[in-house]
Amino acid sequence: MSVEFFKRLGWFVILCVAQVLILNHIHLFDIAIPLLYVYFTITFHRGTPKWMILLWSFALGLAIDVFSNTPGLASGSMTLIAAIQPYLLELFVPRDSAENLDASIQSLGIGKFMIFSAILLVIYCLVFFAVEAFSFYNWQYWLACAGASSLLTFVLMMAIESVRKK
Amino acid sequence: MSNLLDFLRKYHHWLLFVFLEVVSVVLLFKYNSYQGSAWLSSANVAVGKVYELESDVTSFFSMTRANEELTLRNFYLERQVDQLRRLYTEATHDTTVTERQELQFLSQYKLIPAKVVANTVHKPDNLMTIDKGAADGVEVNMGVASGNGVVGVVYLVSDHYSIVIPALNTSMSRISCSIRNSNYFGYLHWSGGDPAIAYLEDVPRHARFKKGEWVVTSGYSSIFPSGVLVGQIEKVFNSADGLSYKLQLRLSTDFGCLRDVCVISDKRVAEQAKLLEAARDSMALTNRDR
Repeated sequence: MSVEFFKRLGWFVILCVAQVLILNHIHLFDIAIPLLYVYFTITFHRGTPKWMILLWSFALGLAIDVFSNTPGLASGSMTLIAAIQPYLLELFVPRDSAENLDASIQSLGIGKFMIFSAILLVIYCLVFFAVEAFSFYNWQYWLACAGASSLLTFVLMMAIESVRKK
Repeated sequence: MSNLLDFLRKYHHWLLFVFLEVVSVVLLFKYNSYQGSAWLSSANVAVGKVYELESDVTSFFSMTRANEELTLRNFYLERQVDQLRRLYTEATHDTTVTERQELQFLSQYKLIPAKVVANTVHKPDNLMTIDKGAADGVEVNMGVASGNGVVGVVYLVSDHYSIVIPALNTSMSRISCSIRNSNYFGYLHWSGGDPAIAYLEDVPRHARFKKGEWVVTSGYSSIFPSGVLVGQIEKVFNSADGLSYKLQLRLSTDFGCLRDVCVISDKRVAEQAKLLEAARDSMALTNRDR
């Protein structure tokens, strides 16, 4: 339990710091922002208590919010995908696999992991930018932001995941 | 009862989910009327500290350029002061009066130097955090300027940090400005997009000005003293209702690489505001009596 906890805490701090100090400053073509912290929620292994996923994700979202002056924005969106994650993961795990299967390229296979993380990521980006805009922008801009940010984050995430595999 | 407990045991994570979402939504809406939530923004001490460290590192790299700019500006101003002093002496044959006047003018304002620790320029409503707060004498509604020109107005103050609404804020920034030589005035409005371009609106139709003329703060709003640089006139448009001019300005402040600013604290502002308040009260009273 405690090893798992400290691992999570480590990821929490790393992703939060990376997002706040580096990734939030990247605005590719003025629309794409890498939202790498979604990776935190995606990688919860199978069989993690659902309340734990919810609380961790909410906390990370809130931490990001506090740093970027957007209370409620990331925390709400993170809570939403944290609720979806365990059910979606269940659809992708192979038959007869371990109770505490990791959500990673290694255990799911590259194709399945890509689809799994892409679905969560796209949901996250759509919700995130919809809530952020909140009747301010037009829908084309919203789709452009969500699409471009998903793509950019996806590439980053795959890079990290493939490095972590070794 | 046991059914209810069973239900709760089975679906407690959904309850948690709803609870967390409600918390988020409350935060989201509370942020819109945002006063008093300083602890959940970058005016918070812990967050401010992290950003301060970051800005220490990054300012090191942009130091050279900032330095060059300031040196140039300093040189230009020095020459201007020199020239004006000579002209004044020629006109009045008095060599000490200018120095006395200068000191008097400056003693009215207190400048609090501050560093920008967090800043954005690409959102429609940008905010900026500086590392001086109530403990250093910063108050809400004080003006903030950099060596190159106007920056914004203090909006929220915590003990050691403050949040500034820069001129680059589409919904909340209205700075009263005037054209340097003719004194016709309007207010500064930024409509998003390019952080170097803003508009001066409500300039009267009969105003006479040329492209390339400087626009400075008017001093009417009592937030800024008069004469702080804002920008140069680039283009002239008619306003939407055709009753006034809308001038496109190239801002003299480069918001993208802002580091050192100063908060302008005017001792007479309180007095001026009190007087205005009294005038409004007495007007309201007269209207009621009628």
